[in-house]
Amino acid sequence: MPGSSIVRPLAGLVLLSILVMMFAVTVGSAQSGMFKVLWVFSGGGTGLERTLILDLRLPRVLSAFAVGGLLSVAGALMQVLLRNPLADPYVLGLSGGAAVGALLAMLAGMGGFVVSGSAFAGALLATLLVFGLAHGSGSWTPSRLLLTGVVVAAGWGALITLILAMTPAARLPGMLYWLMGDLSHSGQPWPGLLVLLLACLLVLPLGRSLNVLARGSLQAAALGVAVRPLEWLVYLLASLLTATAVTMAGAVGFVGLVVPHMLRLVLGNDQRLILPACALAGGILLVLADTLGRTVIAPEQLPVGVITALLGVPTFLYLLYRSR
Amino acid sequence: MWRGCSLMLTGMLLALMPALARAICADDALGRELCLAGPAARIVSLSPGATELLFSAGAGSKVVGVGAWSDYPPEAEQLPRVGDSSRLDLEAIVALRPDLLVAWVDGNSRQQVERLEQLGLPAFWLAPREFEDIPRAIESLAVLAGTEQPAQAEAQAFRAGIRQLELRYQNAGPVRVFYQVWDQPLMTINRDELIGKAIELCGGINVFGHLPRLVPRISKEAVLQAAPEVIVTSGREPGDRQWLQAWQSYDSLPAVVADNLFLEPPDILARPTVRMLDGVTHLCQTLETARARL
Repeated sequence: MPGSSIVRPLAGLVLLSILVMMFAVTVGSAQSGMFKVLWVFSGGGTGLERTLILDLRLPRVLSAFAVGGLLSVAGALMQVLLRNPLADPYVLGLSGGAAVGALLAMLAGMGGFVVSGSAFAGALLATLLVFGLAHGSGSWTPSRLLLTGVVVAAGWGALITLILAMTPAARLPGMLYWLMGDLSHSGQPWPGLLVLLLACLLVLPLGRSLNVLARGSLQAAALGVAVRPLEWLVYLLASLLTATAVTMAGAVGFVGLVVPHMLRLVLGNDQRLILPACALAGGILLVLADTLGRTVIAPEQLPVGVITALLGVPTFLYLLYRSR
Repeated sequence: MWRGCSLMLTGMLLALMPALARAICADDALGRELCLAGPAARIVSLSPGATELLFSAGAGSKVVGVGAWSDYPPEAEQLPRVGDSSRLDLEAIVALRPDLLVAWVDGNSRQQVERLEQLGLPAFWLAPREFEDIPRAIESLAVLAGTEQPAQAEAQAFRAGIRQLELRYQNAGPVRVFYQVWDQPLMTINRDELIGKAIELCGGINVFGHLPRLVPRISKEAVLQAAPEVIVTSGREPGDRQWLQAWQSYDSLPAVVADNLFLEPPDILARPTVRMLDGVTHLCQTLETARARL
């Protein structure tokens, strides 16, 4: 019964996602109970309540869910592609490219749309750069891709430090918050949710091939998988997911590394289950983390990246300790 | 030969005597007493605020080097730069052979200045937290530079100006004010910050005055909840109303309803120097305009 063993955990995660998002919408620096939220959703409530819940909280909660899901799926794909458990969405320098784009825009005094646009451009540039360099004149192997990516990432890191060093003190907080990952200016959640949904629909039919690929490219080739095109597709897909997430919320760390591993420890390593489960569980983790970030010391705010690490590290270590 | 030497030594000691007799001392913001053998003649300012206060103290002609972003008064722009306040160029400072450094608690690195002190350069720390700290800093700097005469007038004029504003606005009707420091992340100031004190002096109520941190980071939601009647900011660049326009879409905000979104000139309010009197005066007038619109 492989069908029900996939459907049951996913149904549970969908239910949990809905509960967590409902909870996240009800709490904030202005308390509004579940009843009032339902009342606002059905068209009631004062102008202020409607603004708070529909214009501020709901988009932010959906953005958090999208970003968490995007990063987790990207992380799971990277781990399969590079056959390296330490791989995360940023390991190939994608967040570095996005950060350089975003910080340069901030250094030039831009805000909002320009910053996200240049972050996305930076992420795409980083993707193409690593892709082209790893291709080189020889063969295209995962280890070569990993090495190229790690070295390019170090280069981006140096550029980031250079930009930070040249920035006047007043502009630094904005940059540091971007680097830590911050959802308070994520804007509309719909592009992110759409990309997440499309990616899930795209990888579902690939699940079986990815299962084989995870065991090694030679075995995959022997079993009739077109390894090279599959690897390119996975790389480009993971990059697109990461670029979308980074554009929405900056470099939120940790989610992409830890969520796939947690799910593997609990659910086993079947990509047909793991990939959609990552989309849901990553979303849940980030929604919870962001809700904590905006309520723990309300009305002051903490960047979401801090909370993801604080929540994720002990959970992950516990699961690892329990596993055999 | 020996006699000549000892005579010379006695002469030197005698020459030093008057200087020793009028050793000059002042207490700095770290609570340390700094004593100099004589008035400082080569001063290096390590931050823009310190530069302005030195010029106000009448010691401008003795300043031989300034930290980056020292743009006021205009004469300061011509002076040699000694690096950004958090990353000082120690070699450049030592090469200027200063006999006094003026450092800023909220900007300069304690370690870097301590290193300079170990090299024998005396440092005087400033950290204005109250309006009174500004004239007091001018007076202390004037003592160290031996320029008490012009400094006294500057310090008294500032004190008188603040007192006048206090008297004028002590019975002004309360208005709820949100002061926006930055937009991404959204930041404001609490009541211990000098701008927070300026708001209270003008009869305003800082809606985030109670928060524990000096420059707290807050959410849009918290601002909507606090329902300020006035929103004041200096913007990203002078004259940039972008941040204020962003609030316009929230028409439940009393400040938006009353069209009370104001742009204040940046440097004169944000920098705790004598120009802050102009900044506070401007802010008080702004809040007066806001009151009329409510």
